[in-house]
Amino acid sequence: MRHPLHLALYLALTIAGLVPALVNAAPDIPDDLHEDPAWLTLVHYQPEKFGSGYKGQADDQGFYLSDQGKTSPRAELQATVDAITAPGGGEDHARCRFPARDRWLRKQLDLPQTPINCPDFEQWSETLNTETVTLVFAASYLNSPSSMFGHTFLRLDPPQEDAETNLLLASTISYAADAAAHDSEILFAYKGIFGGYPGITTIQPYYEKIRLYSDIEHRDLWEYRLNLTPEEVDMLLAHTWEIRSHNFDYYFFDENCAYRLLALIDVARPGTDLLGEVSTHAIPSDTVRWVFDKDLVSDVHYRPSAATEVSYAIGQLPQDHQTLAAAIANGYVKPDAQEVKALPDAERARVLDTTYDYVRYKSEADDWPRDIAAPLSYELLRERSEIDNAPTVPEPPTPRVRDDQGHDTFRASISGGQLGDRNFTELTLRPAYHDILDPPAGYRKGAQLQFLRLDARLYMDNNEVQIEQLTGVEIRSLSPRDQFFSPLSWQVGFGGRRTDTETDRVFTPYLDGGAGGSWWLAGGTRAFAIATADLEIDDDLRRGYDAAPGADLGILHQNNRFSLLGGVKTKAWIVSSQHRQDLAYLEANWHIGRDFSLFGKFSREDHYDRYRSEWQLGLHAYF
Amino acid sequence: MMKKLIAGALLMGASTLAFAQPGCGVGAMIWKGQSGIAPHVLAATTNGTFGNQTFGMTTGTLGCQTNESVRSMAMYMNSNIDKVARDMSRGTGENLDTLAVLLGVDEADRESFRTLLHDNFATIFPTSETTSGEAVDSIVALLEQDKNLSKYIAA
Repeated sequence: MRHPLHLALYLALTIAGLVPALVNAAPDIPDDLHEDPAWLTLVHYQPEKFGSGYKGQADDQGFYLSDQGKTSPRAELQATVDAITAPGGGEDHARCRFPARDRWLRKQLDLPQTPINCPDFEQWSETLNTETVTLVFAASYLNSPSSMFGHTFLRLDPPQEDAETNLLLASTISYAADAAAHDSEILFAYKGIFGGYPGITTIQPYYEKIRLYSDIEHRDLWEYRLNLTPEEVDMLLAHTWEIRSHNFDYYFFDENCAYRLLALIDVARPGTDLLGEVSTHAIPSDTVRWVFDKDLVSDVHYRPSAATEVSYAIGQLPQDHQTLAAAIANGYVKPDAQEVKALPDAERARVLDTTYDYVRYKSEADDWPRDIAAPLSYELLRERSEIDNAPTVPEPPTPRVRDDQGHDTFRASISGGQLGDRNFTELTLRPAYHDILDPPAGYRKGAQLQFLRLDARLYMDNNEVQIEQLTGVEIRSLSPRDQFFSPLSWQVGFGGRRTDTETDRVFTPYLDGGAGGSWWLAGGTRAFAIATADLEIDDDLRRGYDAAPGADLGILHQNNRFSLLGGVKTKAWIVSSQHRQDLAYLEANWHIGRDFSLFGKFSREDHYDRYRSEWQLGLHAYF
Repeated sequence: MMKKLIAGALLMGASTLAFAQPGCGVGAMIWKGQSGIAPHVLAATTNGTFGNQTFGMTTGTLGCQTNESVRSMAMYMNSNIDKVARDMSRGTGENLDTLAVLLGVDEADRESFRTLLHDNFATIFPTSETTSGEAVDSIVALLEQDKNLSKYIAA
């Protein structure tokens, strides 16, 4: 090269197109290569919200090879090319630390395909032994703010034709907040929203995940096998290796578990641009929908949680066997008692199996003391082991509607109605997530979680626009109780709402909550009784605030065609107004497909010794 | 929340917590230097990094000469003892299959493997206090005595 004659020959050949332009030369990087979406994805650049530049989302400098790497895709590209073409080897060489970048750049720039020895990475990928990748979605779980939206992670599936594999042993890739164990749920929620947790990538066996989500948290798992090619799978693993030990700060709403996995899929299949779908928030169930929309899913499998399995198994037992199972679980009947032994083998096996699963569930969920649960569990298993060839416990059927097939989480509604004798038109926007009357398919029945909902009204008589309600958060969980399960029904909410001061309706901040029970009446209908407490704080209230203990008794019916909620509420305002407020209400939604519901509401209220009715009719659109 | 989880872990994971078993039982080896199952589950629920640790544990040298697949089985038993015991009492289930996979039992021998463990449930778990280490040692002993299945645990 240095010899003038060589150079002349080289140039001549290059011009003639006879040799690739870059052989042995310092690679000539196309001017716009650093703007290639694949590069921007590989280094996790996002356009700056204000300004024209880019910013890398990695929050430790070790992820960048250039000092300006965090803000300059071009500098990082140049530094990466320099580093991967630098002589030498070993684990610290950029080629071993950044195998995905190396692979991609070698393709773009036609660099020599010199193999390199990276034993750590190779051993790591060998251990993972991945043929296909499955996106696993853990359904939402209302009792913990950290998991209200659901959770997603990737499972690395070994080749299936190999008999010596089992999916329980497959590894999973997860991105999660590295929260300290002693942080309270409130601190967790705060830091999750405003930042403060490092996000880390972890690799764990699938059985650990099943233990956590399915056994401890009672969340069903949906497994979506992706149709990535072997080459794409390799790229995904290589990139996982790159980000594995680096911190990407974790935020609940956008840069969360789902977000980082979408980035991995984008890297595996350039051009997919799943991250392009993320606007203000990445709700895991939405991200699954996007993955579906981009034709990435080849196969879906449902794995019911331990709780789903046990309640299904109980439901399959005849009534007298249910009673027997409850009696065994509660210690009134021994597993080896005569009345159990008298049952035919198949029925006895079914009763023992179901009771064991139930005891195991209760031990996890309700802290049954070990000195009761352990001997009982053991006796159940020992009795069961004496029955040969009994049919297996029936598996819960796969729900007809998957979680990703439920309605979209953003809802806009328009309605007209009347309050007293005033007509109004109302517009409601709700960014997330699910109202108890929304189409129930794909969501937990009897559960509600709404965020940042705004209800604005235009009163027709004087053209006045009023904010009717601004919901910060509203959570409701109405889980029915029976002889096996005794969950608490509860609700909590805060925000601002119109409240009646006898002469006026003023907008006041409120906090309310309640707890009680629900019970099944008949197919899909539950009744509930909740003791409630309301607090309102506003200058317009006589003493600046008011509080009301109360009660809410009602009925909820949900099916895929319509949802119905009706009942009576009473509140005794005890500080400022000292008036009781009694209310009868009925709300119905009629579900038209996945995208729309028609809704109607009626309420009649007795407050300040006068009656007032309010009704409303309108349309919800989900998108 | 955490207290609940620890209680659950202690209860369900059978008490392998900090037991010191003399000699060369597989169960004893696995827990050398490990503090037991409780921190294990805690790490999982706080979404912490402990994946690497799992890798390390399976590949680590454990002090005495034993078949690696037996060690893997012991690892799996420790995390899933309640589910393995359940499957064993029924003679079927994915957790029992996973044990077979870890031991490298061929498809052709799976049925007799399942039957052996089902028929000997009370030998493998003689009491409700049986630890996963003791259960593994019993399984190894049972397999050794089985002329068909002993090949899978030859060291």
